[in-house]
Amino acid sequence: MMRSPRGLVALLLYVACSVSFAQGITLPDIERIELENGAVLLLHEKHDVPLIGVQAIVRGGTVSDPEGMAGLSSLLAGLLQKGAGDRDSAQFAEAVAAVGGELSAAADLEGISISGEFMSRDAALMVELLADMLQRPELDADEMAKLRDRSINFIRAAKDTNLGALVPLYGAAFLFGEHAYGNPLEGSEESLARIRHRDLLGYYADHVGADRSVIAVVGDFEIAAMTELLTSAFAEWRKADAEPILIAPPAPEPGRRVLLVDKPGATQTYFWLAGPGVAVDYPQRAELNIANTVFGGRLTSMLNNALQLESGLTYGARSTLTRPSLPGSVAIYSFTKTESTIAAIDMAIDVLEKLFAEGVSGDLLDSAKNYILGQYAPRLETSAQLAGAASYLEHMGLDAAYINDYGPAITAADSETITAVINDVYPQPDELVFVLLGDAELIREDVARYGPVTEIAITDPRFRP
Amino acid sequence: MALFAELRRRNVLKVALLYVIASWLMLWFVAVTSDALELPAWSYNALLITLAIGFPIALLFAWTYEFTPTGLKKAIDVDQTQSIVYKTGQKLNAAVAVLLVLGLLAMLGKGFMPKFEFILPGVPEGDAPTSEKAPAEIRSLTLDNGLKIIVWPDHDIPNVVMYNFVRAGGRNEYPGITGLSHFFEHMMFNGTDDLEPGEFDRVMEAAGGANNAYTSKDVTVYQNWFPTAALETIFELEADRMENLAIVPEVVESERAGVYSERRTSVDNNNFSRLFEQVFATAFVAHPYQFPVIGWPSDIEAWTIEDLENYFRTYYAPNNSTIVFTGAVTPGDIFELADEYFASISVQEPPADIRTVEPEQRGVRRLLIETDAQTPLLHMAFHAGSAADSQTLPMTLLLNILAGGDSSRLHRLLVEDQQTAIDVGAWQHQGFDPSVVYFYLTLPPGGDPGAVEATVLTELERVAGEGVTAAELAKAQSILLADFWRGLATINGKAAALGDYEVFHGSFEALFEHPDRVETIVADDLRAAAAQVFRRTNMTVGVLQAPATEADQ
Repeated sequence: MMRSPRGLVALLLYVACSVSFAQGITLPDIERIELENGAVLLLHEKHDVPLIGVQAIVRGGTVSDPEGMAGLSSLLAGLLQKGAGDRDSAQFAEAVAAVGGELSAAADLEGISISGEFMSRDAALMVELLADMLQRPELDADEMAKLRDRSINFIRAAKDTNLGALVPLYGAAFLFGEHAYGNPLEGSEESLARIRHRDLLGYYADHVGADRSVIAVVGDFEIAAMTELLTSAFAEWRKADAEPILIAPPAPEPGRRVLLVDKPGATQTYFWLAGPGVAVDYPQRAELNIANTVFGGRLTSMLNNALQLESGLTYGARSTLTRPSLPGSVAIYSFTKTESTIAAIDMAIDVLEKLFAEGVSGDLLDSAKNYILGQYAPRLETSAQLAGAASYLEHMGLDAAYINDYGPAITAADSETITAVINDVYPQPDELVFVLLGDAELIREDVARYGPVTEIAITDPRFRP
Repeated sequence: MALFAELRRRNVLKVALLYVIASWLMLWFVAVTSDALELPAWSYNALLITLAIGFPIALLFAWTYEFTPTGLKKAIDVDQTQSIVYKTGQKLNAAVAVLLVLGLLAMLGKGFMPKFEFILPGVPEGDAPTSEKAPAEIRSLTLDNGLKIIVWPDHDIPNVVMYNFVRAGGRNEYPGITGLSHFFEHMMFNGTDDLEPGEFDRVMEAAGGANNAYTSKDVTVYQNWFPTAALETIFELEADRMENLAIVPEVVESERAGVYSERRTSVDNNNFSRLFEQVFATAFVAHPYQFPVIGWPSDIEAWTIEDLENYFRTYYAPNNSTIVFTGAVTPGDIFELADEYFASISVQEPPADIRTVEPEQRGVRRLLIETDAQTPLLHMAFHAGSAADSQTLPMTLLLNILAGGDSSRLHRLLVEDQQTAIDVGAWQHQGFDPSVVYFYLTLPPGGDPGAVEATVLTELERVAGEGVTAAELAKAQSILLADFWRGLATINGKAAALGDYEVFHGSFEALFEHPDRVETIVADDLRAAAAQVFRRTNMTVGVLQAPATEADQ
């Protein structure tokens, strides 16, 4: 089909390709400064647009929420923006908006992160606002009550409108049981209602401080000037009162079981099939990501191919790996109309069996490698993304090699190792935990075939049955 | 060894080298000029075979004959003391050197071979922007078939973004085929004469690329994100589906089920979308903006193969599309590939204009959806202008002041002070035709939509009368400018913005006038826009809440 000159062009492109792929997966040199109080500053200049990206992470997050108060760190994150330093809640929001900035805080499983992006001319204001949020938040009781009630109502609104997003919350709770990894990031209606103002103040004193924080700033500034700004803003920050909370690795109960979340009137069933996974430091990350790309991580994945393209049972099926600092989860997620619930779930299990049987080799292996390498560079394109990546690595105790060695590791991955990784990481079909959200009356009997069924109403104020 | 020495003496080796190099140049020349000279496809192979047959003959000739001062003679007849093979060898060396230099120049680029220019038209360089505000490296080119291509090189990362804007969306539909534009977006991934369904995605992902697409009420946009190395693959794939799309009945049925599934998730099981769909269906009585982009359920079940074929012919024409490339490419590469892959796609009759103009609304319209819901929803829509309308930018600033983020008027009032809403947002549908400004609020359980509606209306009427403060305007301007820069921080954002301005504002160059335009808006522009749009008679109100129980009566 191709004439020789075009073949030649293709050859040249192929050579260029291996060069450019490698080029996309490197973290630029980041300047690292550790202050005496333990706070770590990470800086890098990038001058293509007049913007500065920032991300600060305070270790802690959902796993450090006090017993029965899931969502406390999330509530605290929200409250950091509701007045800090000399500004009350309205003034703080006004200060950010007046310069067209963005600054927001959120909690995740193992930390509270504050991300922002400002025009470079507003660098000093950005640092001032960030320092105020972390060191001088008002934590006003009325603001807290308001935000807590609003957060509870957001969960109720999601139960009306955003069912797909809720399924992993029920899933984590069911898979990990009482372990902290099973707690919903933003809490449940029940756990949020239990949080009082003094709990929040106590948590802030105990768990927010310089000794467990990293601040990464990337963008259009001079390193010397930014270092001075950050040093003077954070050098006096106190350490947190309590030691960081260490949790034991989760030990999910093995064996099949089913959680059925009843949403009367739902016309489709959302399903999440999962098992225990691995931690962020899993050594064969490249092989695992190749396996997951092929299994359920892209448009032409095995799951999407079977459930969407070939059968039309859904319009999206995927598999996700959750890799916190201790072993997380591997999950298959999709949805289908109520009548085809069993057909779709059975098909997903068949695809999992096929992954074990066939592994990843030949053209498919090459395709997955090209896909991962070809899609990587845009993830480290902007200042905000680079600040996010740099702070994440520091926060998780990883170094630049995590990114810089990734490309070569993908290139070098072979199908034998991938097969071993699949066997090591993915749950066997008879070990899956099932979480289904749909109209229970219509599917209750059918889904009992997958294991003992626990039922919870969508109106129940908890995610954990 | 004696034979080898004799081969050298008689210049056979030099002739062989010269022959190979000359053949290579001839083949190369035919290959690059075959399109322009309209040579038949077999010319290249014919030449290759001829040259191959000629090779042993040339060698035999070189062995047998020898140049002498008196002409060509058989080598064995030449008196070795009179032989001038050495001189002939020098000439051959010179010829080899000259051809090698020519060949290398040719390899380096056709531009180095001026003698080809009059035969093979050079690759068009495209037009540079005329606006001084626009980055000088941008180039645009309209092919003879009407396809416009815009290229913004940016070598920050080794990746490329391609957006193809097809001017076909919900507004091009009518009862019976609602949702067809969106369905067609799915069909564009479902195979061609050469590729099986799913193959498009497999080939693209194997080359390191990813894709997606979306359909709106105005356009269908195809997006590809890929490493530069995959550039030609992307051209092959895109040209193939534009020219050779297969509409296979079994595939249509499977996709129909998939789209129905999408409707179930994104509309039927989503209270926000259910209300949104009904508000548009109520706010518009004539214009096709009234149709949901996903389509009415009965139409999803009923459209025919013939509908699809008509639709493809009408709308998927090069003269109805605009393609944008941003990232690690050069305009020359893109235009050369476009010439090779897109230029042959035939032009179509331009689609008919949308004639229907929505008549002016003369009284408030209301609708209620009663369904299982913990949190009531309140949506309010007001007829306003199109994307290109001069009042759209002041309205964008105004909506920012009213509902853009935690410092906005409605958020402060309803969410923070009164706590009668848990969330409020505003958006203007900016399309080809005049559409609506849209407010959407989520109320806490037990919230009173009527009371909240009254509060919102009071605020809107206040701003229509009193306008905004200088500080509010300055804040909104800052946000829009920062958003502008954020949008241009990625090659993806650049592609989206260029295409949006080219398609909805008449020229991609207008994008770069945006910061200046934002600065020139004055507070009274916002008040005037509010006064024109925020009128009760111009309003459609939708409420979604749980059905009233007996206890409520």
